[in-house]
Amino acid sequence: MDSMTAVYIAQGLHGLAYGMLLFLVASGLTLIFGMMGILNLAHASFFMLSSYFCYQVVQMTGSFWMGLLIAPLATAVVGVLVERLMLRRLRAFGHVGELLVTVGLMLIILESVQYFWGTESLPLPPPEMLEGMVSIAGINYPIYRLFVIGMSLLVLIILFLILFKTRLGMIVRAAVNDADMVNALGINIPVIFSMVFAIGTWMAGVAGVAIAPIITVFPGLADQIGMDAFLVVITGGFGSLGGAFLVSLIFGFLNSYGIQFVSQLAPVLMFIFMAIVLIIKPMGLFGERE
Amino acid sequence: MTKKLTWIFWIVLLVFLLAYPFLFGAYYTNVVVIFGIMSLFALTVNLLLGFTGLLSFGHAMFFGVGAYATALSLTHIEGLPLLVSILIGIAASAVFALILCPILVRASGTAFTMLTLAFGMLMYTLSLKLRDITGGEDGIGGFPTPDFSIPGVVSFDMTDPLNFYYFALVVLLVSMWALWFLTKTPFGTVIIAIRDNSMRVNYMGFRVTHTKALVLVVSSSFAGVAGAVYALFQNLVSSDGVFSILTSFAPLIMTVIGGVGSFFGPIWGAGIMMLLEEVVTLYTDRFSLVSGIVLILVVMFAPSGVVGMMRIVKAKWLLRRQKI
Repeated sequence: MDSMTAVYIAQGLHGLAYGMLLFLVASGLTLIFGMMGILNLAHASFFMLSSYFCYQVVQMTGSFWMGLLIAPLATAVVGVLVERLMLRRLRAFGHVGELLVTVGLMLIILESVQYFWGTESLPLPPPEMLEGMVSIAGINYPIYRLFVIGMSLLVLIILFLILFKTRLGMIVRAAVNDADMVNALGINIPVIFSMVFAIGTWMAGVAGVAIAPIITVFPGLADQIGMDAFLVVITGGFGSLGGAFLVSLIFGFLNSYGIQFVSQLAPVLMFIFMAIVLIIKPMGLFGERE
Repeated sequence: MTKKLTWIFWIVLLVFLLAYPFLFGAYYTNVVVIFGIMSLFALTVNLLLGFTGLLSFGHAMFFGVGAYATALSLTHIEGLPLLVSILIGIAASAVFALILCPILVRASGTAFTMLTLAFGMLMYTLSLKLRDITGGEDGIGGFPTPDFSIPGVVSFDMTDPLNFYYFALVVLLVSMWALWFLTKTPFGTVIIAIRDNSMRVNYMGFRVTHTKALVLVVSSSFAGVAGAVYALFQNLVSSDGVFSILTSFAPLIMTVIGGVGSFFGPIWGAGIMMLLEEVVTLYTDRFSLVSGIVLILVVMFAPSGVVGMMRIVKAKWLLRRQKI
């Protein structure tokens, strides 16, 4: 195999890993949007918060696996508190208030993280068994990134099983379509809202822990993936999980191959893709509602 | 009687602003210029949010395009008159808004907000990446500030802070007055109607999307004025200064705290936030934390902002006086 093909394959794997992480973040965003009609601006902040939680747990226990277990759960708890104490009280007054609260939350999380952990980037090494490289088809590839791909796939499969095979998933899908009607059928929608919020922030938390060993923990951690996740939700169609999945993967590959061919303008490629989709379909690829 | 009082109030305010630099010195004069710029910027946000019901998370792009256009024109065209450079900034913002219109005005509600967020981030990324034009992280600085001159009549040196203060005062006050006037015209009534019930306005025969596009262009143009004055004042524009997401949120927070939908609310909000910043920075450099907390508290407990609170207090006071 010549070296060029090897580079292509490695970039493809990079793209796949990034696309998977992106989908973990974007799926929570799009689910929350589908149910509550708000795009949670603090979603990427939860992602970053989870990385810091993981760093803290690793500092205290020395085990990455404990971090992977505890940090996303802690993040989900924060998410549920935000939903219960703030967003729920504002729901009756329209979306502007909820959007503004998520803006305030974003500022608060960004600043508190810097207050507690400082602004420098904190190293978070992957667990020992995942360090080093593995040789696939003649190219060396970091084991940890393969682990990230596998773990994201696992989370996705669990999400799809919950959504499409359980009663809870059925209720959630119905609520995405018409929350008021489901509420009228006697299902406790506020509880479902909280659960979806928890699942969404938990997945963002898992992605936050997964990315930490790759790019270290620092306050700007969520800038790129947060921005990309919003673009995914807009391009894939608001509230559409399938759209989010497809666009996440496309963005992952656009990102990794873009850096190789037009490194300066790689971040702009996604905007171009989004603009083209929106000009043809203003609601996004699979979007049906405003 | 009240009309007379209003006139007296405005005249006193104007005299105060004219005498201000002599009373408070150079530092606080510059603070007032920034206050004016942010007030105008917040007013343009409120024109969209409070009057038309469109929440923009990317208003910094219009501000930034105006600032960059003014800075670039002054850097590359020698001997460009001052007013022309500002007009170039305004025109650039207006044209930029016109380009985005086909995508933006079809959306409403959350979709509009997210699209403005996305395009705001696009402009931020572009301003960082197109290094040859924008100077990347360093931005554009050190461009000449031309004199304000009417040939053969007068000429003012704009590098003198005092002269610039009066110039900025006139430009900003005229812009604010123009915005205020706009909300009192039939056009202003139509955009308020669009906020309250756009479908009904549509049935009445007004073209909702065209009107929204026009509001967007007007709001963008005046944000361009604010950006142009900002560029001249700082003599430096950079991506983090004018295009970052925090630049979009600052006027939004001011608008919400002052009072969404009341015309003068954003000016109150700008004043309060800048006072708060002066005080908070004495103790900590985490002003964003404070503004985030204040934003959440206001949204949750006083959604009509300071102006709304004052109205409620006034109404209660009047009620009590009637009882006695």
